Amino acid sequence: MIYLDNSATTKVGQAAAQASTMAMTDMYYNPASGYNAAVQTEKRVEQARQVMARAIGCDSSEIVFTSGGTESNNAAVFGTLIKTRGKVRIITTAAEHPSIFEQFRYLERIERFDVKYTPVKQDGSVNLEALEEMLTEDTALVSCMHVNNEVGAVFDLRSVRELMSKRSPNAVLHSDGVQAFLKLEEKTPDVDLYSVSGHKFHAPKGVGFLYVKSGTNFGGGQMGGGQERNLRSGTTNVPGILGMEQAVIDYTQDMTQKHDYMRRLKQRLYSNLRSLPDVLLNGPSLAEAAPHILNLSFLGVRAEVLMHSMDERGVCLATGSACSTHKKGKNRILTAMGIVGPRQEGAIRISLSPLNTEDEMDLTAQILFEQVQFLRRYRRR
Amino acid sequence: MEHVILVRYAEIHLKGLNRPFFERKLADRIVDALKPNTVKVEREQGRIFVYGVPEDVLKQAVDKLTRVFGIHSVSIARCVEKDWLSICDAAVEMVSEGKTEDRLSFKVFARRADKRFRFSSEQICHELGHILLESFPHLYVDVHNPSLKVTVEIRQFAAFIYCDEYMGCGGLPVGCNGKAMLLISGGIDSPVAGYMIAKRGVAIDAVHFYSYPYTSPRARDKVVELAKLISRYTSEINLYLVPFTEIQLAIYDGCPQSETTIIMRMQMMKIAERIALAHGCQALITGESLGQVASQTIESLNVTNNSVSLPVFRPLIGFDKEEIVDKALKIGTYETSIQPFEDCCTVFVPQHPTTKPKLEKLLESEKLVDFEPMIARAIENCELVKI
Repeated sequence: MIYLDNSATTKVGQAAAQASTMAMTDMYYNPASGYNAAVQTEKRVEQARQVMARAIGCDSSEIVFTSGGTESNNAAVFGTLIKTRGKVRIITTAAEHPSIFEQFRYLERIERFDVKYTPVKQDGSVNLEALEEMLTEDTALVSCMHVNNEVGAVFDLRSVRELMSKRSPNAVLHSDGVQAFLKLEEKTPDVDLYSVSGHKFHAPKGVGFLYVKSGTNFGGGQMGGGQERNLRSGTTNVPGILGMEQAVIDYTQDMTQKHDYMRRLKQRLYSNLRSLPDVLLNGPSLAEAAPHILNLSFLGVRAEVLMHSMDERGVCLATGSACSTHKKGKNRILTAMGIVGPRQEGAIRISLSPLNTEDEMDLTAQILFEQVQFLRRYRRR
Repeated sequence: MEHVILVRYAEIHLKGLNRPFFERKLADRIVDALKPNTVKVEREQGRIFVYGVPEDVLKQAVDKLTRVFGIHSVSIARCVEKDWLSICDAAVEMVSEGKTEDRLSFKVFARRADKRFRFSSEQICHELGHILLESFPHLYVDVHNPSLKVTVEIRQFAAFIYCDEYMGCGGLPVGCNGKAMLLISGGIDSPVAGYMIAKRGVAIDAVHFYSYPYTSPRARDKVVELAKLISRYTSEINLYLVPFTEIQLAIYDGCPQSETTIIMRMQMMKIAERIALAHGCQALITGESLGQVASQTIESLNVTNNSVSLPVFRPLIGFDKEEIVDKALKIGTYETSIQPFEDCCTVFVPQHPTTKPKLEKLLESEKLVDFEPMIARAIENCELVKI
């Protein structure tokens, strides 16, 4: 099977799986307990925290372990808003993942929040001019993703920060870094809060973290026994954390080569499809996009049908649009980018990991070629 | 004092000499519906009494019975000896267990099937009403619009007292009117159509067409789930899953574009009919509603009808979409139906299907492809799921 849905989740690395297993069968103690074995476990968790901190480029006291991307995003929004008073503006972009977008939609119902959505450009990146106009003195939170999960557009967080310093100096800047962490050359930009999910880089599912820049006015996430410096209660997920630690160590080795490698794979796949007519690239150019995401529209083909027929041939990839025949299935993010109609109906997302090979790209291109040509015979006429 | 579920018939009471047949069918259905509990069922003068349901599952049993066709309504009753004091005690106990609002209007109803009982119906109402008023100061009588109805039925062998009445679905017990084959798509309409025909006492089997690999395995699971939801009202359903891709592709390769949908419908009907005949079904059921889509115009229905000889039941033919949705919500299939998966009808659809097909023309177009071996293969490769 050729697995090309690495933005959905990734295969857990052998070493990471072993680290998790060890924490389940040997180092199974609760780090909050008092005896020596628990203290040793706590020390291991703190080591892991340092590994995360190094990858982000921050102090280990700024890392809060969570259950993953959705929880980090929820904690970021609620932990920030709970510290605000009176009527405040909160801003996000039209291209966010549901774990941010749905929160903002919900907050629209609460009168004291003035919710704004910054439009995105056709390449999927944030429209900075529009954002600048939205930023006000009373803006409390700006949540802007780092890499878009559908098309791989990289958002210019440095410029977002600059605009905020000028117009909304008191606002907190959160970024959903789930698709960006370990995938970009640039160091993590200057943000206040940053969400990370482990299973997007070969760690187990159910673990991630939220970077909280020291000094940020942040109220924390779920409440309870006071773990994670009282910012995220709940028994520490030692197996997840140690698995994620190993995954970060593995991924950061030769990281630049990994990025170059994935970009080359993407280029190879794209070039192989060049002779197929009516294939459109969605999002930014291959060079500008995150190295692992490629979104293509095959005009005249319905993505869901293509996805199933690729599945039958042993290739796993994702549809841009869940189901074109039902209104509900419209893809909000592609629509926000202005990708609509047949272009959205035929949109497929291919997302890579360093485990993919050149042969897989060639084979995938060949099968795509066959399937698209075959299905186009039955296009709507 | 024993708990008993009292079941009232729906339409069966209109039956004449063959009424015992329908009563027996209904009794069988009740026993089936209440499995795994073993219950005893007694029939008496237009009522069925169900004994032996454990007290902790009485509410669930009532819930199940309200989905058994042929039942007008059910009540949980106390069964006592036909002795005035026992009757009064039971009534007082039932009221004290029930509603506790500050002020509560009530009325006593009495039905005296056993005319030997010493009080007349009217006397029962008066006397019991008096006792309840004395026992519960918060009660007051309202004979026009009571919020609490206490009913006493004096039967041949015992007296029954009950308060609440739960409405059933009506109709006739499944199995008393033969068996039919439902064409189920996964949409909103076909489950409702199946429900409506089953309600008339018809046992249901179902056939579903899928286009592997172009339809999702989840679309298949969805149809299985829908069949399960329908089976809550019917007896066991045999669901036949028919691979349809080969035929679809042949239609699109060989037939005029605008006619592909209607020719596809014709082949579906043919396959459904053959499976139906092989398994003792005497009719086909579809969820078609006149004019809803291109294949459901009067001309299109005429063409699809022509491809089979079994009668085709279309219970939704005169329904608006909104009415169908209401019904789907009521029977509990709507939420499952609206899960968004491509089904075989939507995978390959022409942009402009014909809405006024001519039978002669269609029969000519159908000849462009040799469907017979493909139909045989589809039937041979169909998969049976017992629901």
